[in-house]
Amino acid sequence: MLRRALPLGVGRGLLGRGLGTHRGGSTLGKVEGSGGYRGSWVAPVSSYVTFRTRDPAHDGKTVGRLGEGDQNGKVSEIKKKIQSVLPGGAWNPPYDTSYLPPEHSDVVIVGGGVIGLSVAYWLKRLEKPRGAVRVLVVERDHTEYLAVVDDPPLDIQFNPSGYLLLASEKGAAVMESNVKMQRQEGAKVCLMSPEQLRNKFPWINTEGVALASYGMECEGWFDPWCLLQGLRRKVQSMGVLFCHGEVTRFVSSSSHTETTSGEEVTLKRIHEVHVKIDRSLEYQPVECALVINAAGAWSGRIAELAGVGKGPPGTLQGTKLPVERRKRYVYLWHCPQGPGLETPFVVDASGAYFRREGLGNNYLGGCSPTEEEEPDPGNLEVDHDFFQDKVWPPLAQRVPAFETLKVRSAWAGYYDYNTFDQNGVVGPHPLVVNMYFATGFSGHGLQQAPAVGRAVAEMVLDGHFQTINLSPFHFSRFYLGEKVQEHNII
Amino acid sequence: MLKIILPTMMLMPLTWMSKPNMIWINTTTYSLLISLISLSFLNQLNDNCMNLSLLFFTDSLSAPLLALTTWLLPLMLMASQLHLSKEPLTRKKLYITMLISLQLFLIMTFTATELIMFYILFEATLVPTLIIITRWGNQTERLNAGMYFLFYTLVGSLPLLVALLFIQNNMGTLNFLMLQLLTQPMLNSWSNTLLWLACIMAFMVKMPLYGLHLWLPKAHVEAPIAGSMVLAAVLLKLGGYGMMRITMMLNPLTNSMAYPFMILSLWGMIMTSSICLRQTDLKSLIAYSSVSHMALVIMAILIQTPWSYMGATALMIAHGLTSSMLFCLANSNYERTHSRTMILARGLQVLLPLMAAWWLLASLTNLALPPTINLIGELFVVMASFSWSNITIIMTGTNIIITALYSLYMLTTTQRGKYTHHVKNIKPSFTRENALMALHLIPLLLLSLNPKIILGPIY
Repeated sequence: MLRRALPLGVGRGLLGRGLGTHRGGSTLGKVEGSGGYRGSWVAPVSSYVTFRTRDPAHDGKTVGRLGEGDQNGKVSEIKKKIQSVLPGGAWNPPYDTSYLPPEHSDVVIVGGGVIGLSVAYWLKRLEKPRGAVRVLVVERDHTEYLAVVDDPPLDIQFNPSGYLLLASEKGAAVMESNVKMQRQEGAKVCLMSPEQLRNKFPWINTEGVALASYGMECEGWFDPWCLLQGLRRKVQSMGVLFCHGEVTRFVSSSSHTETTSGEEVTLKRIHEVHVKIDRSLEYQPVECALVINAAGAWSGRIAELAGVGKGPPGTLQGTKLPVERRKRYVYLWHCPQGPGLETPFVVDASGAYFRREGLGNNYLGGCSPTEEEEPDPGNLEVDHDFFQDKVWPPLAQRVPAFETLKVRSAWAGYYDYNTFDQNGVVGPHPLVVNMYFATGFSGHGLQQAPAVGRAVAEMVLDGHFQTINLSPFHFSRFYLGEKVQEHNII
Repeated sequence: MLKIILPTMMLMPLTWMSKPNMIWINTTTYSLLISLISLSFLNQLNDNCMNLSLLFFTDSLSAPLLALTTWLLPLMLMASQLHLSKEPLTRKKLYITMLISLQLFLIMTFTATELIMFYILFEATLVPTLIIITRWGNQTERLNAGMYFLFYTLVGSLPLLVALLFIQNNMGTLNFLMLQLLTQPMLNSWSNTLLWLACIMAFMVKMPLYGLHLWLPKAHVEAPIAGSMVLAAVLLKLGGYGMMRITMMLNPLTNSMAYPFMILSLWGMIMTSSICLRQTDLKSLIAYSSVSHMALVIMAILIQTPWSYMGATALMIAHGLTSSMLFCLANSNYERTHSRTMILARGLQVLLPLMAAWWLLASLTNLALPPTINLIGELFVVMASFSWSNITIIMTGTNIIITALYSLYMLTTTQRGKYTHHVKNIKPSFTRENALMALHLIPLLLLSLNPKIILGPIY
């Protein structure tokens, strides 16, 4: 509404944005770009979601064809020019400070990956009065996460081909109980015997397979890059601030208290986050009320900065966050005689997995190495011998067509591997009172991101979990030694 | 008058020459003593004013405001101790010097006889306030807030200068006491209309009137605690005080010219109260509630009946103390959680019970609970406006309801409910903070026992 007043030259209207309500917009040299609340309701990411982002310049209409897109760019450019010429804009300091994070933010989310963005999204979505909470997402400037030019409606390219999990004799009972639990929650999963498997998927060699579970509806894979971009844009339109920088320091204060049983504990409170700008020595202290550690593979380091784990081992103070980065490889190969288009995501009993990629007989897969053969996480170089020795044989045994294949490419990435029980850590730290964790998902972060984001947002805004109770994933289980094990993990 | 001005001026060498660990103690104690001196002025003997010298006078209108101003300085100093503790010594002393110079200008403004002197000091109060907001505020938005604050007030008051000089030329004097005797009725003409507007607009911006209030939420939110306190408690009352003095000269034109401002005030009361219901930032909520209360004062002054003048004066004093106390409470929250968002710091009653008691009392006085002077002020104004026009009761009544709504909303959001996990280890209340709240509340409650000292010259 205020932006429509712009061509009329109403000077004060420009500045009256928000009328005192403190929104996420900083006035550090930025022109009004990240708009107000458009309130576009997006269904939670479950099975098939189309992200529709609203271009602020377009004011409510979805951007369609390319021609219109050009016009939008021109319109916003003209608006920016008019705004810079008219008097009474926001204070422009003599030097450009748009790359700096704001001096104050209510919530600082360390890590701008899918978990961090999901937490930001749910915080903005669930806050009762709109615009209540100021959120800042700090992300190190990785080339993968650089924002791309605006695109029309987002399609995360969901392939609903389902997951096929194969179990040997040993794992059959576990698989049955898992499927029963999944059915109770409403998932449409079926159990298949080896004959049924052979009937449905003739390319499978069912030797050694006792049972298989196949998801029939709303199960499959999607493009995580698209999801990330869509989340990023949506969250920016909701008023969350982004900054490319690295968290180097937490300024905190401690207080000593006694528990009810009489032992002394030191409670810490983080007051400020020092964000160092990339490729420079400059840092900006961001005053904050709470910090959310969603730094993925590097969350162990962030936790150490906050003082988690500094104490005699065996005490709660000395319990570190057991999340470290582990390198995993993914290989892409071409197999002309390979399984057809209805190939699901196949997970073999041995731990190797593959799925169809695209329509040209390309397949993507890999395998989790055992503890002894963990690759060195210092770099992201791919080890092709690992494919020859560990991935190919079980896959070739399961799918005879894979005996002839040609590896097209491969890449490596980091899991935020929880060395304790390979499951996520969600919730506040008992001693560092205003740090919340949302990390350690060991490769499952993408699929658990929406739920975890909502849970953390509920924890922050309401003080307890409401939709799903994630209290088994609390940090204190590391101290108490209670593992939350999951069966059949990849 | 010199017995107040000279000690206040000498507070400045006191800060600069005190030992580093004694600056706060010295300044707070001496400013408390000065405020005790100013209490002697409250003993007004008759209807006429107390002429202290050629330059200064007090009457029953300016004496309570003077007492409020001098009472506030020690409170401001007490409130600022924590957030300045990390600053280097020179900057601390500079901050205190700013507060003291602001205090000086305010004392002289409230007691000025000559209207030009009033104007000069009125403008002079802007400078220390601007310095406090822009230098010691918390966010980057403070620069914007400072500019807004400065230019709104300057632009509003420049016509006042022209008008005052014109009146000086015509009447030969701008001595307030003489003007009371020399005024002629201001009849309806274009030039008189412009003169009327020129005289009033400065104070309308300062109060602030609803359409000109954009500077206030920004300035209040971005200012440090002492800045917020003095802004809310005293600087807004400068507008009210000035309007009450100057409207003496502007009759009978006021009867017709007042209509648009009355309407703006009535509408603005309801609007700003409703905005309070949607606020998420605690300081912003209190700032908007200030606008709402001051709209009542504007209405009262424009109606110009004895009851409304009494109500306006009482409301100014009451709001000064209440608003300042609410800002101190909000600041105690902010210093602990580093966030002004209300929903992030909830359920504090369990963690800080005594502070919850202060919160309760402050919220109750804000919603004009009987028998506090807040109620007396509001009730007098509402009755006067009802007799001026019956329909206004609908709007003032709605405003009272919404005021109660947002005061209780603020109370229940910050104090009641389950506390969030991340406020578990906040520091307990300091004695200094409790003393601060008590010193705000005790005058407020004592005045409800003897409200006639603040009911102004008409009583």
